[in-house]
Amino acid sequence: MNVMETLGSRSIKLRRGTSGRLTEPAWIKVLLIGVAMLFLAVFLILPLLVVFTEAFKKGIEVYFASITEPDAAAAIRLTLLTAAIAIPLNLVFGLAAAWAISKFDFAGKSLLVTLIDLPFSVSPVISGLIYVLLFGLQGWLGPWLQAQDFKIIFAIPGIVLATIFVTFPFVARELIPLMQTQGSEEEVAARVLGASGWQTFWRVTLPNVKWALLYGVILCNARAMGEFGAVSVVSGHIRGLTNTIPLHVEILYNEYNSAGAFAVASLLAILTLITLVLKSLIDWKAKIHAQFPDEVAGGRSYEH
Amino acid sequence: MSIEVRNITKTFGNFVALKDVSFKVETGELVALLGPSGSGKTSLLRIIAGIEVPDEGSGTILLHEEDTTDISFRDRKVGFVFQHYALFRHMTIFENVAFGLRVRPRNLRPSEEIIKQKVMALLKLVQLDWLGDRYPSQLSGGQRQRVALARALAVEPSVLLLDEPFGSLDAKVRKELRRWLRRFHDELKITGVFVTHDQEEALEVADRVVLMNEGRVEQVGTPDEVYHHPANAFVYNFLGNVNLFHSRVEKGKVYLGDIPIDLPSEAREDSKTAFVFVRPHLLEIELQPNGSDHFCAKVEHINAAGPVVKVDLLTDWGDPVHVELPHERYRALGLKRDDEVFVIPKERRVFTDHSKPSRGEEGGLP
Repeated sequence: MNVMETLGSRSIKLRRGTSGRLTEPAWIKVLLIGVAMLFLAVFLILPLLVVFTEAFKKGIEVYFASITEPDAAAAIRLTLLTAAIAIPLNLVFGLAAAWAISKFDFAGKSLLVTLIDLPFSVSPVISGLIYVLLFGLQGWLGPWLQAQDFKIIFAIPGIVLATIFVTFPFVARELIPLMQTQGSEEEVAARVLGASGWQTFWRVTLPNVKWALLYGVILCNARAMGEFGAVSVVSGHIRGLTNTIPLHVEILYNEYNSAGAFAVASLLAILTLITLVLKSLIDWKAKIHAQFPDEVAGGRSYEH
Repeated sequence: MSIEVRNITKTFGNFVALKDVSFKVETGELVALLGPSGSGKTSLLRIIAGIEVPDEGSGTILLHEEDTTDISFRDRKVGFVFQHYALFRHMTIFENVAFGLRVRPRNLRPSEEIIKQKVMALLKLVQLDWLGDRYPSQLSGGQRQRVALARALAVEPSVLLLDEPFGSLDAKVRKELRRWLRRFHDELKITGVFVTHDQEEALEVADRVVLMNEGRVEQVGTPDEVYHHPANAFVYNFLGNVNLFHSRVEKGKVYLGDIPIDLPSEAREDSKTAFVFVRPHLLEIELQPNGSDHFCAKVEHINAAGPVVKVDLLTDWGDPVHVELPHERYRALGLKRDDEVFVIPKERRVFTDHSKPSRGEEGGLP
C-alpha cells in the first residue's frame, strides 16, 4: 500500500515537473476511463439492476412472500447455519496456519502453503464429488457411516464440509503476507517482557492483524453464503431440508418462477453490497491506522 | 548483577556463529560487544537474553553466578532493547511501557494507579512524558529508541541488553544519544551489554570492550587497553584507520620499504611474512629527509575538507598510503599533487602471519 502511494505521489511530481509531457492526451484518458466504466456497467451494475427489477416485477407482496415462504425460509436458515459453522472454524484454521507459516520455519512449509491454495485451484464441483466418493453410500466410508446411522452426503454435515473446504483459503491468504511483513520481533519482545504465550497472542499478535482477519472473514462469509457448485453436489436438493439460498434460487428458476428466484437472489446481492461496504470501511479504518507511515518499517527488513 | 558467558558455541546449520566464547561482565559495568557484521555479537546478546539457545552440550550463561539454562524469560529479569525497537505498533507509548507490568501474573501485578505512576516516571526519565498517548509510528527514530529503553526498564531488569542501540539513527542523533546513554547508565548503575559495529561508539561509551570476529573473542579490555595495546592484527585493524603493508621477514627483520623493523618478541621464529600497520595520523610528511627512517612517495590526492587533511600517497614500490595531517602542518608544507615527499612512520606495529587480519586490507606488497 505504502509503495503504491509513494509511487503515486512520485509520478504526480514527475508530471508537474515536465509540464504534462509525460501524460497521455486527453482523448486517450477519456477513452480508457470510458472503456473501463462501460465494462463495469455492463458486467457488474446492469446485472445488479436486473436482479432487483426482476425481483420486484410482480410487486412488493410477491417479493416478501417469496422470501418468507417456508422453503425459502428454510434455505436462508440453512445458509446462515452453514456460515455460522464454517466461518469460526476457518477463522481458527486460517489464523493457526498463517501463524505457523509466517512465524516459524519447518519442513513441509511450502507444501502446507500449496495445500491451503488447493481449494482455489480445484473446481468446486470436483471438491463436492470428492466428498460424495468419500462419504457417499458407494464411497469408501459410506457403509461404515451408514452402520453408525450418520448421514453426511445429502445432509447438513456434507454441506458444511463442502463449504469449509471451498472457503478455507480466504482467512489464511489474507493473513500470511501481513504477518510475514510484520515479522516476529514484537512477539519476541513481548516474551522477553514476561508475557506468556497466550498473552503474547491476545495482546500482540491478534491486534496487529485484526483488520486483515476481519477482511478475510468477510470474504469467507460472502463465499460461504454464495457457494453453489460444491454444495450442489453434496446437498441432494431436498426442499426445505438441504437447500441453501443459491440452490433454492436454481430450483425456483428451473420452475419458471423468475420473480421468486430473483427475490431470493436479491438477498445474496444485498449480502454482496454489504460485503463491499464493510470491505471499504475496513480498508479505510486500516489506512487511518497506518496514516503515519512507519519510517523505520521501510528499512526494517533490508538493512542487513 | 554480573553476567558470565561460559564456553558458548552456536551453530546455524553449517554456519558457526559462536565458537567457544567466554567472558565476564561485572556488576554495574557497561560492556560493548564490538565486531564486524557476521561476527556473532548479536547472536551472543540474544543468547544472554534467552531468546536463542546455545548449542546442545556447549556452555552456559550465568546471571549473578546462577546457571540460567532452565530459567524462563519471566525470571531472568533481563531488559532487552531491539535493534529496530520492536515497539508494539497498535499500542500507545504509555501502553508499550506498561506492557511488562500488565502481563505479570495476577498476584504480582501492580495496581492501575502504581502502573500509571511507574510508567510516567519512566517516560520522564527518558524525557518523553509528553508523548504518552502517541503511537510508535508518530515518533522519530531517537524517540522510539528511548521508548524501547523505558519499556525494557519497566520490568526492573537487573541486566540491560541493547542490540545496535543506535544502528538505525542518523549520525547526529546517534552521537547525542550515545552520550545520553552513558550518563543514563552512570545514574542507574545497571549492568549493561550493548552490541555495536561502530568502534568509535564502543570506545566512547563502554567501560570495557569485547572485540569479536568470526564467532570468537579477539580481545577483552578497557577502551584504552584495546586501542593502545591491541592483542592482534585484527584488533589493531578494526579499531581505527590503518595503513597495512605486507612484507617479507628476512633475518629476523621486517622491511617497510627500506626501513628495517624488529620482529615483535612474541612472533614465531619461522614466520615468513609479516604485516606492518601504521595509523594515518602517525605518519609524518617531510619535503626533505631529516635523518629519521623514511620511505619515498608521491602525492596522489588531497582532501582538505574536514578536521584533518587527508593525503593519499603512492609509495615508490606502488602501495597506496593514507596520511592525516593537521591543517597547520599541511599549510606549512604547501603540498600539491604529484609532489615527491618523504614519509616518516612515527609508530608502527608488526604482526606476523599467524595473526592474520581478515578485513579492511589496504595496500601492501604483493
